[in-house]
Amino acid sequence: MTTPDAQPPLTGKRPPPGPGRRAFLVISSPRLAIALLIAVLACCVVGVTVFTPEPAWRLIFNTLWFNGLLSLLAMSSGLTFFGRIWGRRLTLISVGMILFHVSFMAMLGGVVFNSLFHFKGVLRLTEGETLPNGDPASYDTIELGRFFDFARLRGETTLVRMHRGYLVDGQEKRVAYEITVGEGAAKATATIYMTQNLDHGGVRYLVAKEGYSVGVVLHDRLGQEQYGAMVPLQSLKHGEGSYLYTTGNSKEPGSFPFPPPPDRAAILLQVGYVPDQAQDRAGQVEFFTWPPEGAAGQEKPAASGKVAVGGTFDAGAYRLEAREVRYWVGMTVRHDPGLMVILTSLWAGLAGMTMTFAGRIWQDAKREKRAAAGERPATTEPRGIT
Amino acid sequence: MNVEQVLFWCAVGCYGVSAFAYVFGFIAEKEKLVTAGLATAVLGFAAHTASIALRWVSSAVTPFISISESLALGTFMAMALYLLVQATTRKVRPLGVFVVPAVFVLIGWAGTLREATGSQLAPALQSGWLWAHIVGASIGFASVMIAAGLAGMFLLKEHRSGGIYDRLPAPSDLDRLAYRFVAAGFIMYGLMIVTGALWADQAKGSYWNWDPVEVWSLVSWLVYGIYLHLRITMGWRGRRLAWYALAAVVVMIVSYWGIPFSVETFHKGFRVEHL
Repeated sequence: MTTPDAQPPLTGKRPPPGPGRRAFLVISSPRLAIALLIAVLACCVVGVTVFTPEPAWRLIFNTLWFNGLLSLLAMSSGLTFFGRIWGRRLTLISVGMILFHVSFMAMLGGVVFNSLFHFKGVLRLTEGETLPNGDPASYDTIELGRFFDFARLRGETTLVRMHRGYLVDGQEKRVAYEITVGEGAAKATATIYMTQNLDHGGVRYLVAKEGYSVGVVLHDRLGQEQYGAMVPLQSLKHGEGSYLYTTGNSKEPGSFPFPPPPDRAAILLQVGYVPDQAQDRAGQVEFFTWPPEGAAGQEKPAASGKVAVGGTFDAGAYRLEAREVRYWVGMTVRHDPGLMVILTSLWAGLAGMTMTFAGRIWQDAKREKRAAAGERPATTEPRGIT
Repeated sequence: MNVEQVLFWCAVGCYGVSAFAYVFGFIAEKEKLVTAGLATAVLGFAAHTASIALRWVSSAVTPFISISESLALGTFMAMALYLLVQATTRKVRPLGVFVVPAVFVLIGWAGTLREATGSQLAPALQSGWLWAHIVGASIGFASVMIAAGLAGMFLLKEHRSGGIYDRLPAPSDLDRLAYRFVAAGFIMYGLMIVTGALWADQAKGSYWNWDPVEVWSLVSWLVYGIYLHLRITMGWRGRRLAWYALAAVVVMIVSYWGIPFSVETFHKGFRVEHL
């Protein structure tokens, strides 16, 4: 009989662990950590060999189960590591390992936090145009976290001008956007280009894509202005290195009601633009018009012709003026509240790896020195922690 | 053919001769052939260095951008590290049996892809992170290449003795040395991935895009991460790890140059929408 204070006999069976302890033992097993590493590895290999990038993103990398696998890996490697290092003497090796594993878990925490609160949108603006940042209708595309609040996007954004062939310290940056963002006295003006973005109030503005907009004015037969608008054009790849600039969608040219709804359309209009090779914002503007009553599919346009920028085209009942050419830009607007944690964790993880490596080399050197001096090594290479 | 091209092909030729001398010297157990392999490898390395320097001087662009240039830099780093190891540890001279033929094949492939240099660095590449990224990638490759060579030597030495094998380090030393190079390569790959993430964040606003090259880099990093876990956590040593290191270097070469060569990725030309 055993009294409550007595130690259990050494040869006796230990009581089986409870479900909580069993779960802990499973999740903190090094074998599980390695199995999870291999599973993540296999998913990555399948994602880049079986699928092209877009389906891989949809079917693997952006799925709940894959993110769950990553979370489980972080938890498993953290528990495995900390369960084994707990109570050990702090050395360069162990501190490096702690730093690496803490940074790994912090990075994953940052990724999860960011995915819940982030925002990514493409704001399309023509030069001189201003759009409210907090209005979802301002964006061409939006991707946001479950808990993102549009109130985070305060003020408005104006594209002052787009510069081509922009130079910084003699290096060509291809394009740069001169923008103003914010509200009231807290407005900021900056010129952004590839590798240089604007961070205003935790929201970043980045260059993404550009195109031409043609200012089209509709006149009646008497020359009276009826309607005018900047018409953004698509750039459709047209052979090696050349582009076709036209209205339509990202795949093919197309027409649209002009003026657009809710106004009453006078014509269906397709606009094209052939830039002048020597002079910026100059060139030829092509017009194709159809009657407004559902003739979009009609092969032959009612009127078509080409005028220089600034010229007027006679479209029968109306005249169309190609008043000017401006640039439009599709600017990426991002809010990533977890970014700082993620990027800092990456550096911390790297520092941890380096410390561990340096510690191991140092430890090996000491051991070799002792062996050369004929001493018995005090310890063997530590196992069980990574 | 300009001087830079001539030097490049001289390097390829020297590495070819060196690879031949190393392999046959080792098979025939002729120490002199192995020494000749080292001498021609040094000659090839001198020509290789000069061709990179000339390409750099003659153009305004850092010559490490295209796949061919990246291969030339990776092999340059592998040879530099190999010769450094030779200079410090004479016992691992037959390491060239594994390193030089691989370098010869890769630089020969680079030769078939060579093109004229541009006059301007693409805007996305005009970043300080480019340097850290390239240094991490090329030294990482060089380290794991040497580790694979040491692993190969381990496998040869394990059950053989006599002649040239007696002059090789003990298998346990080769095993430990291979582990050190893998650990160093793992850190340099880490540097490559971290700086690549920071660079992508600067250029595209996103630190990770699941781009095929990014994923393959992660795959090769994880492959070496598993190597370290197997050794340190699971206690693996010797033969199994040596085979693993040899297989891992193949994955690394595929991810490093095979993927950007065959798949449309952010790394291939750094294209953005054009006007």
